[in-house]
Amino acid sequence: MRQTSVTARRVAAASVSLVVAAGAAACGPKDNDAKGSGGDSAPHKGGTLTVLNSQPQTDFDPARLYTSGGGNVPSLVFRTLTTRNRENGAAGAKVVPDLATDTGRPNKDATVWTYTLKKGLKYEDGTPITSADIKYGIERSFAPELSGGAPYLRDWLAGAADYQGPYKDKKGLSAIETPNARTIVFHLDKPEGEFPFLATQTQFAPVPKSKDNGTKYEEHPVSSGPYKVVKNENDGEHVVLVRNPNWSAATDGERKAYPDEIDVRSGLDSSVINQRLSASQGADAAAVTTDTNLGPAELAKVGGDKALAARVGTGHFGYTDYIAFNPTVKPFDDPKVRQAIAYAIDRSSVVNAAGGSALAEPATTFLPSQKSFGYTPYDPFPAGTSGNPAKARELLAQAGHKNGLTVTLTHSNAKDFETSPEIATAVQDALKKAGITVKLQGLEDNDYRDKIHSVKTEPGFFLAHWGADWPSGGPFLAPIFDGRQIVKDGANFNTGLLNDTSVNDEIDAINKLTDLDAAARRWGALDQKIGEKALVVPLFHPVYKRLYGEDVRNIVISDWTGVLDISQVAVK
Amino acid sequence: MNGLTGFVLRRVIGAVVTLFALSVIIYVVFYVTPGNVAQITCGPRCSPAQVHQVAQQLHLDDPLYVRYGHFLQGLFAGQDFSTGTSVEHCAAPCLGQSYQTDQQVTDIILAKLPVSFSLVLGAMVIWLLLGVGTGVLSAWRRGRFSERVLTAITLAGVATPVFVIGLVLMIVVCGELQLLPFPQYVNFTDDPEQWAWNLLLPWLSLALVESANFARLTRASMLETLAEDHIRTFRAYGVSERAVIARHALRGATASVIALNAVTFGSAVGGAVLTETLFGLPGVGQELVHAVKVVDLPVVVGMVLVIGFFVVLANAVADVLYAVADRRVVLA
Amino acid sequence: MSEALVTVEAAGTESSVPAASGARQFWRRLRAQRAALVAAAVVALLVLIALGAPLLTALEGQDPTTYHPSLIDSARGGVPVGSLGGMSADHWLGVEPQTGRDLFARLVYGARVSLGVALAATVAQVILGTVMGVAAGLGNRWVDLVLSRITDIFVAMPLMIMALALLAVVPGDFPRPVLVALVIALVSGWSTTAKMVRAQTLTLKNLDYVAASRLSGWSTWRTAVRELLPGLAAPVITYAALLVPTNISAEAALSFLGVGVKPPTPSWGQMLTSADVWYQAAPQYLLLPAGALFVTVFALTVLGDGVRVALDPRAASRLRVGTGSKREARAEQAAPQAGTRARRQGGAKTEAGKEDRA
Repeated sequence: MRQTSVTARRVAAASVSLVVAAGAAACGPKDNDAKGSGGDSAPHKGGTLTVLNSQPQTDFDPARLYTSGGGNVPSLVFRTLTTRNRENGAAGAKVVPDLATDTGRPNKDATVWTYTLKKGLKYEDGTPITSADIKYGIERSFAPELSGGAPYLRDWLAGAADYQGPYKDKKGLSAIETPNARTIVFHLDKPEGEFPFLATQTQFAPVPKSKDNGTKYEEHPVSSGPYKVVKNENDGEHVVLVRNPNWSAATDGERKAYPDEIDVRSGLDSSVINQRLSASQGADAAAVTTDTNLGPAELAKVGGDKALAARVGTGHFGYTDYIAFNPTVKPFDDPKVRQAIAYAIDRSSVVNAAGGSALAEPATTFLPSQKSFGYTPYDPFPAGTSGNPAKARELLAQAGHKNGLTVTLTHSNAKDFETSPEIATAVQDALKKAGITVKLQGLEDNDYRDKIHSVKTEPGFFLAHWGADWPSGGPFLAPIFDGRQIVKDGANFNTGLLNDTSVNDEIDAINKLTDLDAAARRWGALDQKIGEKALVVPLFHPVYKRLYGEDVRNIVISDWTGVLDISQVAVK
Repeated sequence: MNGLTGFVLRRVIGAVVTLFALSVIIYVVFYVTPGNVAQITCGPRCSPAQVHQVAQQLHLDDPLYVRYGHFLQGLFAGQDFSTGTSVEHCAAPCLGQSYQTDQQVTDIILAKLPVSFSLVLGAMVIWLLLGVGTGVLSAWRRGRFSERVLTAITLAGVATPVFVIGLVLMIVVCGELQLLPFPQYVNFTDDPEQWAWNLLLPWLSLALVESANFARLTRASMLETLAEDHIRTFRAYGVSERAVIARHALRGATASVIALNAVTFGSAVGGAVLTETLFGLPGVGQELVHAVKVVDLPVVVGMVLVIGFFVVLANAVADVLYAVADRRVVLA
Repeated sequence: MSEALVTVEAAGTESSVPAASGARQFWRRLRAQRAALVAAAVVALLVLIALGAPLLTALEGQDPTTYHPSLIDSARGGVPVGSLGGMSADHWLGVEPQTGRDLFARLVYGARVSLGVALAATVAQVILGTVMGVAAGLGNRWVDLVLSRITDIFVAMPLMIMALALLAVVPGDFPRPVLVALVIALVSGWSTTAKMVRAQTLTLKNLDYVAASRLSGWSTWRTAVRELLPGLAAPVITYAALLVPTNISAEAALSFLGVGVKPPTPSWGQMLTSADVWYQAAPQYLLLPAGALFVTVFALTVLGDGVRVALDPRAASRLRVGTGSKREARAEQAAPQAGTRARRQGGAKTEAGKEDRA
């Protein structure tokens, strides 16, 4: 779910959230500025691209990264079996071959996937990349020493649930076969039509066994991509990448690799990053950020400056901020109470608290509004942009709360403008008009995460968010609404504790589809069906706006990551 | 100097006891702090089985005293850590390994300390100049315009949070006037000139916060010396005011300024959290705040001990300097 | 704080021990300092504003929590509509970006929290510090050793870190302002107060009249209350006056690190934290709380200095030496009483809260 584009301090990982948003995917008419970018000069090779980030690249090990589509900076070093299509907008939500010749050949029920590697693939030291290296890379991601990745490999690969990685279990994973050096075959427990999406994650990057030094591998991961790591100071605070001479553009149709060098500086304050990009002096003129959005205050300033506004990339990452209910807690066991809250919500004030209409779009669907998710517009509890308190009162009266209701809203104290006090206060203000008194329970972030993700302590009414692991309805809906994914003794994300056979069956049925367009339409329909249960109240989908320096060219922002793709960027 | 030896010995024993007590307190506090460390380390989507594996590997399921035992063992005998493919030995005194990044705590501290020292040393020069200068002026030229301006500046430094001063300075000096580059830490050994230019604004911001204390102390000490009988005698004999100030009053203030300086220095090494955060300086304070937020106990304990060490050391140094400079203070 | 500095801090007050007629002299000497009087008036005004917050906002016709979405430009990040941050007859100081809440109301209600937290923290620091200091000073060797060690541990402890950890441990529904005040008090200030009080107690207990009280068989408790506390009042009050502004800054720093008072409760620190990035787009949003904080800390500091001078008769005579200041000469006339031997009376301000401002 999370998309920590670069980020991934394992911590941030902890911070479940998706904190670091991603950036900007052009959607609808808004992608004009994304495509334009200078336009005056064609991108050319050479120069140094500076990256100004807030989160250090603490994890630079493909086994531990939790990224959508292979990440941004990591994707310059790690090639994977498949990758995301590096194009603007909806086209960028497609999966395309990378190391493999195609996006994968399934058997009839999509339980066996076969890939063939391209010819002439080499590591930075000139040794050939083999299918066994990809198998090894996946195996080591199961080692508890290298924890941090997404759960799908463990859930999907046959017999992998209890595998502890190659350090403890030398036999390896029998679910992955490598009949020859260019062929790799995956055996799954159940049909998974979206396997090509999973194969974009960095766990599918090749790791040469002879170079593996466990937790130290991140200091110098062996490159299969256009750049290699030549400097990694202070655990990812300052990373320098230069060209990998053994990478060949002929085998890589996706990464443009225009600059000669990439200089990644992190640990910076986010307002300082935006100040630097806006001043654009010296090396900052050729700078971008892969983890820092414009905040509302900065947007207000940019809005009054045309030259600056032309240097803003806008995008949409698949992401939803919402109110979650636990229907086992009174009074939220009563659907009428949940519906009343859904009617009473003033989305315009929530949007304002999140940064205004340029940084957040009001949401009535749980699925993000991009096509690849199967977005189907619907609003089961239509109340306009500022809510319908009268309708809410009526429902409350029907539910036996004629004289109003007092409830507690749990939220995090983190300053993220998503589950933070600002949003909670806006909700509180809106519900007041419907006669609902909201008491705020703000918890420190770790406490908040522990509480909402444990079935034993989950509060009745709280703020939550969810982000896409890849641009499809599957990883968006299944963890939250699939009854078989309720985790009793660990981190549970099905916070509505929904276990509905018809929903579960539909999820299974869609997973069998290898026609991703057909699947998308059915995810959209399923979303609408679940939405009517009022287990969640979608609040908004964030919009990512990021500045880039004056000399930066060739901005590409896909619907997949929502942020400018660093592999496409050129500097003047 | 028997008295001094005994004094130093008592201080050393006291410091060791203090630091150990500090480590125990941190262990206890973080033991009860919410936040499932294994889940944080493993990632939010880890299954209960994986979380359990991570917890075992980090000894998180052990009782508190066993974990503290591991810590002591590392401190006195060193510890071994598995990288998966090999075993790394962390020699004593080993402060352990970060739960989150697998780095050795001693390495982290060694990487962060030069940054914090760079920040505090430079700031110290400025706060001494600004603070003592203001103090001298306000004792000597009471009520004059220059004195009022300087006093207002130092008080403004105390009254305005550093995250406001620093950001406004940065926006104006680096963004609008473009007089300086936006601060970005450069190693002194790599390029001393760039090191200084980049640190200039952080130095100023931190120094503004501290200098009022020095102004106040300098002024008070000087006024007191000036009131003493022998100064009146000098004045009566026609010694110039300038000479009185420079030779006598200022000298009288030296001891207490040095003492305050030692203490301020000691606490700023680990305490300049806000300055470091705002200017993106990868120093001790910033790392420590981060470690606390992710419940990275080994890093927190290691860093608190190092910071505590500097505070204790600075206090002792202050006392010794003070005692040497002023015989009236009895070492207790 | 180092013991040397504590000695500096505590010294010079022995002459003020017989405190019988102290209060009247104190007022006389305080009144003689114009700056301190102005500062006192400002502080009194601030306290009045804080206490009268509901009244003032009622006068304006606003409250600190109601949203005014029509007064902000949502498409531009929620910047207030109109000039000067949306100032108008309805909203005297404009409105807050993103929410449109009334800034005047938030500022005066924020004064309640900021001043309240700072004063409460100071009271807690003084009580805790005095009890620990007196106990250490009057107790036997072992009591003294243990208490002094405990005090040292808190001196060496980084404030921010303990505050972050403690605020995470305490349940979320505990009243936040109270908690913030307690945390500030617990992790800073009290330990230096305790050291100072201990040093002072050690000096006092050897004075004849205290020693006599102890020898005549009165209990330690009675000695402490009857004989010591009056003597301790002067240095402790002086010290407390300096702690208040430090505590106000500490509240702001905690807010910046995300562990201060929580919205929708306004506090100056919390306003500053959300406002600093608005410096360019909506300057008054930053300048208002920053100005309020500046005026408060400035006034409290000046007042604190004045209190010290008024409590310490030696200080007055010392002030005469400044070059050509008639005002100070008047102060001296107003307080003609001479002290005993001059001792060092530095103004070494406490280290308390150093790190939160840095």
